[in-house]
Amino acid sequence: MLLDGGVHALRVAAAAPAGTSAVLLELGVVLLVLAVLGRIAAKLGIPSIPLYLLAGLLMGDGGFIPVSAGEDFLAVGAQIGVVLLLLLLGLEYSPQDLQHGLRTTWQAGLVDGLANGAPGFVLGLLLGWSMTASLLLAGVTYISSSGIIARLLDDFDRYANRETPVILSLLVMEDIVMAVFLPIMAVLLVGASLVQGAVAAGIAIAIVAGAFFISLKFSAHVSKVVHSHSRELLLLSVLGLAFVVAGLAEAAQVSAAVGAFLLGLTLSGQVADDVRTLMPPLRDVFGGIFFVFFGLTIDPRDLVPVLLPALALAVVTAATKVATGMWAARRVGIGPKGQWRTGVSLIPRGEFSIVIAGLGITAGIQPQLGPLAAAYVLILAVAGSLMMRFAARIGPPSRWVPAALSRS
Amino acid sequence: MDIYETPLPGVGVRYEFTAESGDRVGIVVRRDGKRDLGLYDREDPDACTGTLELSEGDASALAELLGGTNITARLESLRHQVEGLAIEWITMPTSGGLANRTIGDGHIRTATSASIVAVIRDEVGVPGPGPDFELRPGDTVLVMGSEHAVGHARQILIG
Repeated sequence: MLLDGGVHALRVAAAAPAGTSAVLLELGVVLLVLAVLGRIAAKLGIPSIPLYLLAGLLMGDGGFIPVSAGEDFLAVGAQIGVVLLLLLLGLEYSPQDLQHGLRTTWQAGLVDGLANGAPGFVLGLLLGWSMTASLLLAGVTYISSSGIIARLLDDFDRYANRETPVILSLLVMEDIVMAVFLPIMAVLLVGASLVQGAVAAGIAIAIVAGAFFISLKFSAHVSKVVHSHSRELLLLSVLGLAFVVAGLAEAAQVSAAVGAFLLGLTLSGQVADDVRTLMPPLRDVFGGIFFVFFGLTIDPRDLVPVLLPALALAVVTAATKVATGMWAARRVGIGPKGQWRTGVSLIPRGEFSIVIAGLGITAGIQPQLGPLAAAYVLILAVAGSLMMRFAARIGPPSRWVPAALSRS
Repeated sequence: MDIYETPLPGVGVRYEFTAESGDRVGIVVRRDGKRDLGLYDREDPDACTGTLELSEGDASALAELLGGTNITARLESLRHQVEGLAIEWITMPTSGGLANRTIGDGHIRTATSASIVAVIRDEVGVPGPGPDFELRPGDTVLVMGSEHAVGHARQILIG
């Protein structure tokens, strides 16, 4: 009997599709590449996101290492990565954070959106792109990377600095704006007319408002239902809920990412605390797959023609971010050096720029959007992080500082 | 002494105050319980010259070494455990409410279900004051209960 059981197990293994070993091998290699790159990034003191992107570019079509067998899994893994990225982003914020953020920073948020979205939008139009594709590019240039910036603020011990609340509030505002922006874009991408677009925008805003309302009034109830003291059951509940909500949102053409973000906002209290400690490793693994997959979908040869526009866009939007940040910090009475730190800290772009560009790629609207966004994020994730690190040494440019304050 | 509280969205809360020496001190209480203690730069008052990262345990050990009581730390952990428990410090007015009257006069326990856990008078804490304890203007009364009950109790106390 024992022998029979053993043989049976072997048969099951043998019955697996012929390509299984190739899939496992490829996935293993991809994950190991991520692991090595992550270590290199940590050594160099730069975020790992640009390296993951680069790895994706170098693999796959037109790259050095072909990845084909595992592509289906990577595609699903990337989708899971987006859902987890946004779920945890939503979990980061309590309803109070959002209320406070909206009340105190909406003006700075508005300036931030206009000053940093406009360059992307204009460049899109200059390149002869459609309205929708240009709007997506505006989103790419607008949104700073909460992931990279929060991580670096921690690494550089800047949480206690007086300008830090300004930076964090701006990041919150951007995330709120994105919760409205993404669903509107999702509708525009399926080729809606202006009227349909307006209706869709209304619905999107209503859904977001609804989620905010639930998160403000009923999050304790929702969270109580989901919570469990077993880590396994808690993970299963939250992951299951996240995928169901994301799937439903996707089916309703609101984008899975937005669904996950809104679910994250709705959960709070003990559930949020527990999930925040449990889920980050999972998010980082699948998030890594997301960046690799995004790189995989782009042929590195397509990067060459967009390199100059990406560089120009990077320079312009780095400057507009610095200006926005300095303005926002000055309004709350931060000194010149702190203003400079605020501005520089907002430069890094990362995960959300890629999420937004990914929407365009899936919809297939503008073949250049993906390569341009990839090059842009590569430049600003690395350059922005380095500028944050050396902010004190490179600035602020002395002529911006009144003579009386610049003694040192 | 004024302690300023600033929310740090996604991170926690930052408290800051100016010491009598003129140095400014900032403490970030992160959501996971870790504390960052920062000493601000005199030249650039927005930035820290140094930061000390403390675990929750480190922080209460340091507080005790510095001569603080650990009553707030205890209360905080209590608040984590009991969902819906509100704790409020209420300063007694010069007149009106229960000023110069006994706790029993207010019938707080029966009317609101909130409890007076302690009274602090001139930096001295009186834990578990009885119904015949007389409240004086300036006393700090520590009330615990559901949010609603505590709100009701505050009305009775300060009139």
